[in-house]
Amino acid sequence: MKETRLGDFEETLLLLVGILDMEAYAFKIAEEFESQTTRATSIGAVHSTLNRLSEKGFLTSEMGASTAARGGRRKRIYTITASGQRTLEASRDFKVSLWNQFPAFAGAKLNFNV
Amino acid sequence: MDRSKNHITPPRLAQRLLCWFLKEELAEEVLGDLEEKFYVTLEKKSKRKAKRNYWYQVIRYIRPFAIRRIIVKHSNSTTMYRHFLKISLRNLSRHKVLSGIKIGGFSIGITACILISLFIAHETSYDKRYKDGDQLFRIANEYSDTGYFGRWTNLQGPFKPVLEEHIPEIEQISRVVLWKWGNVGENHVRKVEATQNIYEEGFFYSDPELLEVLEIPMIYGDQKLALSSPNHMVISQRKADKYFPNENPVGRQMVLNDNANTTYTIGGVMKDFPLNSHLQGDFIMTLKGRTVGPGSSDWCCSNYDFYVKLTASADKSAVEEKLVTIRDTYVIDQLKAANDEIEDIQNNQKYYLQPIQNIYLNQEEVGDHISHGSIYAVWVFGAIAGVILLLASINFINLSTAKSIKRAQEVGLRKVVGSFRSNLIQQFLSESIVYSVLSMILGIILAYLFLPTFNQIADKSLVIPLGTWWFFPLLLLAALVIGVISGIYPAFYLSHFKPITVLRGSLTSGKKATSLRSGMVVFQFTATIILITGALVTHQQFDHYMNKSLGYQKDQVINILGLNSLDSMERDLLKNEILNQSAVQSASLGDYLPVAGSNITNFGFQLDGASTLDAGFEAARWIIDEDYLNTMGMSIVSGRDFNDELADENSIIINETMAEAFDLDDAVGIQLVDMFDGKYQVIGVVEDFYFESLTADIRPLAMVKGKGRSTLSIKLSTEELEAAMSTISTIWSQIEPNQPIRYSFLDERFERMYDSFSRAKTLFITFSVLSIVVACLGLFALSAYSVEQRSKEVSIRKVLGANSNLIFVLLAKDFLKLVGIAILIAVPIGWYAMDGLLQDLANRIELSWQVFALGALVALLIAFLTISAESIKAAIANPATKLRSE
Repeated sequence: MKETRLGDFEETLLLLVGILDMEAYAFKIAEEFESQTTRATSIGAVHSTLNRLSEKGFLTSEMGASTAARGGRRKRIYTITASGQRTLEASRDFKVSLWNQFPAFAGAKLNFNV
Repeated sequence: MDRSKNHITPPRLAQRLLCWFLKEELAEEVLGDLEEKFYVTLEKKSKRKAKRNYWYQVIRYIRPFAIRRIIVKHSNSTTMYRHFLKISLRNLSRHKVLSGIKIGGFSIGITACILISLFIAHETSYDKRYKDGDQLFRIANEYSDTGYFGRWTNLQGPFKPVLEEHIPEIEQISRVVLWKWGNVGENHVRKVEATQNIYEEGFFYSDPELLEVLEIPMIYGDQKLALSSPNHMVISQRKADKYFPNENPVGRQMVLNDNANTTYTIGGVMKDFPLNSHLQGDFIMTLKGRTVGPGSSDWCCSNYDFYVKLTASADKSAVEEKLVTIRDTYVIDQLKAANDEIEDIQNNQKYYLQPIQNIYLNQEEVGDHISHGSIYAVWVFGAIAGVILLLASINFINLSTAKSIKRAQEVGLRKVVGSFRSNLIQQFLSESIVYSVLSMILGIILAYLFLPTFNQIADKSLVIPLGTWWFFPLLLLAALVIGVISGIYPAFYLSHFKPITVLRGSLTSGKKATSLRSGMVVFQFTATIILITGALVTHQQFDHYMNKSLGYQKDQVINILGLNSLDSMERDLLKNEILNQSAVQSASLGDYLPVAGSNITNFGFQLDGASTLDAGFEAARWIIDEDYLNTMGMSIVSGRDFNDELADENSIIINETMAEAFDLDDAVGIQLVDMFDGKYQVIGVVEDFYFESLTADIRPLAMVKGKGRSTLSIKLSTEELEAAMSTISTIWSQIEPNQPIRYSFLDERFERMYDSFSRAKTLFITFSVLSIVVACLGLFALSAYSVEQRSKEVSIRKVLGANSNLIFVLLAKDFLKLVGIAILIAVPIGWYAMDGLLQDLANRIELSWQVFALGALVALLIAFLTISAESIKAAIANPATKLRSE
């Protein structure tokens, strides 16, 4: 069986793919990652992870439109699959349950949008 | 985007590189992404940065998923290299002992090299982490006149506002107090709501600006504000986790040494100082708002280290000059009032800005209060690593050429069937690379196994950077380089044989090769003997220090520490209760101990009535009580000790060195004045004792009467330490139930001062053992080889009547001669090197010929034993078995 757990980086990228929707291709995802997390990355690193997520069946992709800025080359647009969606939800639920078990945080009445 | 205007395109070379390694099906999307990235970067940044970023992105695409499959082409040369590899491995398994020795020796050398490289990399990595590192400096005084040159850090506190006002190049200044003053060093702490006092180390004072100047990252609290209010302190992450787990401790309060009147509020939590920071500590207390002790500002006293951050454009030497100008214009009056030697200062004293990354290794030898690495140790270590690797390479060369006759026929045959010399060179080089790669693998494993031991010896916590991307490629590269270097001579030597001579069988191992081998054996043993004598000399020096008569009795003295949590009545009570015990001979309250880590205070002194110009003079100043000298076993040579019946307020006891410095035959009764115009009469002269390190000469010392606040020293009259300690512990816990007793033994603290010596000793021993092992492996293999070569000669001699002894002598004498030559070379070099090593030490031992004789004897003996095994075997073998085949 294929490994179906999510690493931190993988999870973030998966979410970004969802956020960017039709603009979800490697360059945009890398830019978005850097601007949202202020952590540096490279397109290669992002591409490699997207590739891995596709292998795990969390993403599908197809070639999209081309623009002049890309020298007329097409881009690969990624979309989250149903199994990707489920894994993301499972990961969120798990963390929320951990937060709820931690008295110091639970007592602070944090507002979780569950 | 208007691309036509500025025809800037992504770097062509990078694109070609990308297309070369990238899978074809990915090319379109990746090229598109990178191009988009390139133009976006171009809009925001310069053309150069955009191009550099493109390169970076391309390189980051070198990942397994993106690289196209390399099609293995079966060309002639791959077949040939496979053949080389096969022959190497066959050779390796055919001569198991020889190959084992080659690889074993090599991997020992590599292990030593890896460990030492880690050490050197660590020692040179200090304080490289700052963003503005090249703008950070520490101010040092620099004094030079004809006879003397010296640098040290301490400056007067009030310099800070003056510099801030008058030197625009200085962006920020922070003073720190790192020497034992006030609460610097170790303290007992507790949360304000807790009762138990806990012992902690690593306290120091600083100005609020320190956090910004040294770019100390904060976990909680603000860099600007954390230390900006009085009685605030910043604690390290590990201490925050210890005292305030799972909470933000900002605003919480702590009490030092049970002094509930002054609480310290936690203003922030900083990240722990990294191991490669010259500055270490867990509790930074602010100087802000303090007027007594640390924080007091007076031109009299140089108590502060200054860190400065210059502006980016500032010129270091211009600032240094400005510092002098500032002193001579704005500060001169205050200095005059406080100091009598102002002319001397103006003429000879300057300032030096020490770059922050130099502080740890301190090549500039700036005197300060932190522990340093030694650039000398870095060099010595590096040299030793080099020598051991060289010894191992020499083994390799020696053994390869020694085997030459066996390989010669192979070479001859290869040449006959059409091999070029270049092919043969390639073959032998790839063989030696196979060896060095195998040795490297073994070496890494050994290094991994021995790292804990090495860390213990070197007092470090090094780790092998297995996770970093460069580690294995670097080692592989090193293995290739070592393989080529040590293989190049054998390769050329082995490939030069003429097929006709070789195949006819008339080749004998050449004279040239033999003398080269002999030279290398001599070199190996020279290095070994020098290392052995190094080990012996450091051992002797260490022994000398341990047994040196110190002028006081360090045995059976216990120091009870942490008394500053008690008030003065409790301290007296503790002392009296302890004195009542029969096992206790005497006890004294005194914070000044003749070992490292104790209080240090220096005062200027002069004879009363002396002309002010020539009298400037500095001495250590101790405060002791009437029982101190007695407890420590120091002896008064003239005059008297302090006395409990007299107040002795204006009495002073000086040591012999100080009496001599003032040129006094009889110092008793003389009046002295200190730098604060306090007048004292000398009542006694104490015999010189070593109150600082034995590596330096005894300095002048003056002692006035008073009581210590943190240390009680006890001289026991019994050998039964444990029984005595348990009663003392009971007394302590009755007086201070909230703080566990803490104590040390004076003799142990004394020994700890010379840890660096005992470490140097262990290192020398370790490395001399290593070099002996490597040299012996080589010698063993060579002697085995030569015995094999001469086996027919030996057999014939035996048949003709030579006895075993004669044969043994015949075989052994050649090698022993070489060791003899090595001794002749090693002794003068070793003498010179050891003399240099000890040169700067006070109380150094004199080098004796016995040490060198012993070193030589050890080398000779080991060489003898190594050769014996094979020689004896040959000498007692039955000649018939060897000669039968002819």
